[in-house]
Amino acid sequence: MTPPANLLPYTDTKPVGAADFYFAINATFRFVLNKFGSEGLRRYWTDLGARYFAPVTARWSAGGLPAVAEYWRAFFAAEPGAEVEVRESSDAVTLDVKACPAIKHLRAHGREIVPCFCQHCYFIGEAMAAPAGLTVRVEGGNGSCRQTFLRRNDASAPQDFARIKEASC
Amino acid sequence: MLGCYDFCGHYEWTFEWLRQQGGEPLVREYWDEAIRLDSQRHAAALISAKGIKGMKEYWGHTLVDEGAGYDCTATDAVFRIDMHECPSKGFLLRNGLQQYHDYCDHCMGWIGPLLKQCGWVVDHQHNHCGQCWWELRRSDDPTPPSKHGELSGAHDVRKRADWKKSAPLDTYSRANDPDDKTPS
Repeated sequence: MTPPANLLPYTDTKPVGAADFYFAINATFRFVLNKFGSEGLRRYWTDLGARYFAPVTARWSAGGLPAVAEYWRAFFAAEPGAEVEVRESSDAVTLDVKACPAIKHLRAHGREIVPCFCQHCYFIGEAMAAPAGLTVRVEGGNGSCRQTFLRRNDASAPQDFARIKEASC
Repeated sequence: MLGCYDFCGHYEWTFEWLRQQGGEPLVREYWDEAIRLDSQRHAAALISAKGIKGMKEYWGHTLVDEGAGYDCTATDAVFRIDMHECPSKGFLLRNGLQQYHDYCDHCMGWIGPLLKQCGWVVDHQHNHCGQCWWELRRSDDPTPPSKHGELSGAHDVRKRADWKKSAPLDTYSRANDPDDKTPS
């Protein structure tokens, strides 16, 4: 399904991305981790979320949780092999990632996955959400997970990193 | 989640993030280490094992997958690509994305060292508008780059009316290094 162009900040002429780019995403995380350590990798993810994805944050600021749900539906429609259900309530948007397209592709091609790969969804998502008054909690990983976006005031506890699984091939 | 649909956008953004952390040497190291040796290691495996046949297999798959408008020409001695619509530079141009000063350098940044490892050299030009050409020859072959149309005929990107129109050309002659270029 072609993602609706106006729901994504940057759009392409092809309907879905090229899955081999997941190799480069994984390799980039490994490179930054080796050069700058865990803190450096978290800083990279946070900067990416706050700067590159600033147009998404602006839409979430204006549109609240419905805009969050619209974005992720369009996002996963453009990721090859994604199996994700996006559920929306008045209090939260929940992404049930049944098959993570990145982990699936990396695994299918025997690529060594950076163990902390799944943490990027928290750090990038949180950097996108925070300026819009939202926050995210991630649970699971290594191929399937649940990500919940909610208002910052409604979050009862900070992200527990023990609840994000390490990724493996 | 970081996706592959807009990969070229956050890939280009990453070049500038790395430059700010460690200068241009870190960007070169990234292209060589993360892209050539890690991400694209399947390209090196194909080309080192099969030469031109491996190039056909690698670029045949990857450029179709990325949605490129291109043409490939091969003889026993040379592999040529005429890129008329670079999918990644095109994505950046259409979306108005530029953080790093010269995105096009990244191709030579990983392909150049990969081909050196396999015993090949590169003649290449890009116009920073999504068009470029490549001729890959064995490093002991002194043949100069082809004249316009000589190898790829009507597909030769240099025959386009807009080839030299809007941005300066970067030229590489028998090169393997992203910095071994002559701007026009």
